[in-house]
Amino acid sequence: MSDAAALPSLKSDQLFINLGPQHPSTHGVLRLGLTLEGELIVKAVPDIGYLHRGTEKLAEVRGYHHCVVLTDRWDYVSAMPNNLVFCLAAEKLMGVKAPARADALRVMTCELNRCASHLLFFGTYGIDVGAFTPFLYAFREREMILDLFEMLCGARLTYNYIRLGGVGMDVSADWLTRAKEFLEYFKPRLDEYDTLLTYNPIFMARTRGVGLVSAAEAVNWGLSGPNLRGSGVNYDVRKHDPYSGYESYDFEVPLGQEGSCWDRYVCRVREMRQSIRIIEQALARLPEGPILAPGVAKVPKPAAGEVYAHVEGSRGDLGIYLVSDGGISPYRMHVRAPSFVNLAMLEEKLAGMKVADVIAVLGSIDIVLGEVDR
Amino acid sequence: MSDAPQAPTPAAPIPAAAPAAKPAPAPKAPLPEPKLNAASGRLLTDRFATWPQPIFDSKWSRQGYRNGALMLAGILLGGGLLGALIGELAPWGDALYALVASRAAAAGFAPPAADLAWTLIKVLIVLHVILLNGLWAIWWERKISAHIQSRVGPTYAGGFHGWLQTAIDGIKLLLKEDVTPAAADAPVHALAPAIVVIPCVIAFAPVLFGRELAAASLDVGTLYIFAFAGISVIGVVMAGWASGNKYSLLGGLRAAAQIVSYELPRGFSVVPVLMFAGSLDLAVIARAQEGYWWGVVPRWFAFYPVVGQIAFLIFLIASIAETNRVPFDIPEAESELVSGFHTEYSGMKWSIFFLTEYGYVLLGSFLLATFFLGGGASPLPWTPFTLVPSWLWMLGKAMLMMFVFLWVRWTLPRMRVDQLMDFTWKFLLPWSFANIAIAGLYLAFRLR
Amino acid sequence: MIGYFSRIFRDAKALVQGHGITLGYLFKPAVTVHYPDEKLLPFEKFRGALLFDAATCISCNLCVKACPSNCIQLENATNEAGKKVAKVAWYSIDFGKCNFCRLCEEACPTKPKSVWHSLDYEVVFTKRDEMVRCWKASFPFIGRYFDRQAGDFKDPEGQVSIHDVAPRRN
Repeated sequence: MSDAAALPSLKSDQLFINLGPQHPSTHGVLRLGLTLEGELIVKAVPDIGYLHRGTEKLAEVRGYHHCVVLTDRWDYVSAMPNNLVFCLAAEKLMGVKAPARADALRVMTCELNRCASHLLFFGTYGIDVGAFTPFLYAFREREMILDLFEMLCGARLTYNYIRLGGVGMDVSADWLTRAKEFLEYFKPRLDEYDTLLTYNPIFMARTRGVGLVSAAEAVNWGLSGPNLRGSGVNYDVRKHDPYSGYESYDFEVPLGQEGSCWDRYVCRVREMRQSIRIIEQALARLPEGPILAPGVAKVPKPAAGEVYAHVEGSRGDLGIYLVSDGGISPYRMHVRAPSFVNLAMLEEKLAGMKVADVIAVLGSIDIVLGEVDR
Repeated sequence: MSDAPQAPTPAAPIPAAAPAAKPAPAPKAPLPEPKLNAASGRLLTDRFATWPQPIFDSKWSRQGYRNGALMLAGILLGGGLLGALIGELAPWGDALYALVASRAAAAGFAPPAADLAWTLIKVLIVLHVILLNGLWAIWWERKISAHIQSRVGPTYAGGFHGWLQTAIDGIKLLLKEDVTPAAADAPVHALAPAIVVIPCVIAFAPVLFGRELAAASLDVGTLYIFAFAGISVIGVVMAGWASGNKYSLLGGLRAAAQIVSYELPRGFSVVPVLMFAGSLDLAVIARAQEGYWWGVVPRWFAFYPVVGQIAFLIFLIASIAETNRVPFDIPEAESELVSGFHTEYSGMKWSIFFLTEYGYVLLGSFLLATFFLGGGASPLPWTPFTLVPSWLWMLGKAMLMMFVFLWVRWTLPRMRVDQLMDFTWKFLLPWSFANIAIAGLYLAFRLR
Repeated sequence: MIGYFSRIFRDAKALVQGHGITLGYLFKPAVTVHYPDEKLLPFEKFRGALLFDAATCISCNLCVKACPSNCIQLENATNEAGKKVAKVAWYSIDFGKCNFCRLCEEACPTKPKSVWHSLDYEVVFTKRDEMVRCWKASFPFIGRYFDRQAGDFKDPEGQVSIHDVAPRRN
């Protein structure tokens, strides 16, 4: 617990409350020390570290194959990009390239996972602003994605699917038809979400013009993902530093206008549509071939060196800095976790807001504490 | 589960003295066929049959619609027949009063004693209406919310659709430990639920349950109800303050601001109705809506062009706000204030808050039915409908309104404090004033 | 003035449409599974609780090396001469550490697999001892745990097996 969040000296008309770590809408174990004047926030101090598991350090005593399992546990609601970013970094170290079919499968699963993650965001954001029903609708759809993942790799949350040099399991024909069936079911649901929540006047009043982040601020804070694009900055790793063949897919990057909570929210909802487009293209062109590149040893010992790889995770620019000293485990692994970086703006943004807006802003940043604390 | 089924023991145990270092050859026999364990419950083997689309398209669902429609028709028909058999309840009350009076006279009591006994009986009846409404409304809310959200809600307790669930929850709440937090102001903490629930019960006195069917016939019924319903907020503020919890305090303060503000549009939205009916007495208001335009359209205030609809909507919105329900549930605001003013309450004290909330929902529903939907009058002027007694129509209309309360709750998000205030002061209140002016024009031009 | 009324109309329309959606789903059947009465059968690749077969294990240690969380331990059996043989004397998995990642199963060289994921997803541990599941020659696939209080091996109680005869992968 940091000293900064400890009880500050208060004026007589101020109120200090702990929002979290046990609170219905801090999305995990974030603690916010709020100093209030009535409903207005004078000072907000986020306090993190309740979910720290030391995976960066653990990676230093694990083999490269083992580290993929560790990555599952950062952003547990979208573990596929985590798998992918570590594998990309390690493959760079080893000089291996995944085969075409594996790349298509990686893209497909990552985009499905993005849908699942954004659905979770959509549902919990609805709860944050008081609408409970969208949550269960979102989970109904997310359940189908998780079923697909379970069918594909046997797990619903911590997949360990993307492996060094490719992917772990091949898809079956049945899986492909089921994935198409899901997409057909999912598309009209997105319109329903728009009617139910996105363009609901109360929801718009709650989120539009709240938590404004200008484009310059967003860049200065190092925001990424929908939080950055909500401010109108067109930056998407999939477009600007393509990996796994993203350059060959036709999709748009939805952008917000003013950088309010609503813009960030809408970016995510629109991204789901784009993810559907990408998955459909990947399904249509899925190449035949091997799913694992040859030349990945059981116990890889990449040559000494350092690499940085990043992907567009569900929450933003997820990067890994990997140093090898030629041994069987990484010498150092550092994660650029988007949730952690995005959370940094909270302290400055919350001052002057109302208590209800804290929840709206916090929800719209869409953090996962497993990734913040790692 | 000590007899949990286990896979059969491998046939070949390790020989204690393996003859040589050569590993035992892998068994050549085909693998045993996997067999499902019958004891592990009904296994749904086709996972994709549980996906939403096949369920929405399935024959079962069409059959389900049909069953539901038949059930609804059965309930309506059965209720109508039962109601026709029982008839109006007001004469039964008169007969009961006559019985009480004659018994009292026979036993040699003074006439006020009989009146006192009769009042006690009526109080008990109304009290049971509120209690039973708690059981019913919570169960209904659970089922409605569940079905709106593609769930099923309680299904086990009691057998039929979990109808006993709330009663069993009530028993659980009664048996729960009553915790008073160390930081709480204990006497005020204990008093607050009482202050909340008592005005609710008192406010039910003039509520009309059918034609002429009310516990007390008051000239100033409307005013009386609004006056007492407004007192509950004191209990809410007390609960927020006495809990010794900052979230509760915020919730209590929000409740005070909100309920006081929404009293105004709620009161003013009824003024046109009072102007048309010319009385504050609920029975007179209901009687003023009897009859039909052109022999078909009932002369309910909700059907008065423009003025009726505006008044109806404002009264509905303000009633939802008065009961602290979504989209106006900022005093409870689960995602912000944990549970608001009743965060620190447990057991029966907590359930009294809950009971009161549903009591006010019922009150709002009955008032909506009385003011705008013609009270106990039949919506259709034809024989089978007009035979149904007025209390059944009243109940049906009130339940319809209660469904609207639930439906709104499970659809909308929550407003923010300042938006809530803006909405009532800048939108609802001006429109309710404008509505009074429109109603005045109606009266001036004798368009009623 | 027109803007004011059109805004009211727009907002009211959006609200009514939202209510239409919830009302629509009110009349659609539920999609949930009534859990203790109905259970989903996982897909065949599902990574449930690990099972082990001491008869086919050749004690090659590959699963121990493949495990990212070091939850597997085993000891070679020895013959009378004290020489190691390709059999396990005992094998244990600490489910408190297990990641359910299937790396051990993928590493297992025997056919059929000696350690494999069952489809059992209802695994409950009521004691710490129960988390360490042990296998010896005569133990069933599901294993036993060593109860330190009783000083003896006991059958795990908190696992509901979906299969009487567990499916094994080659």
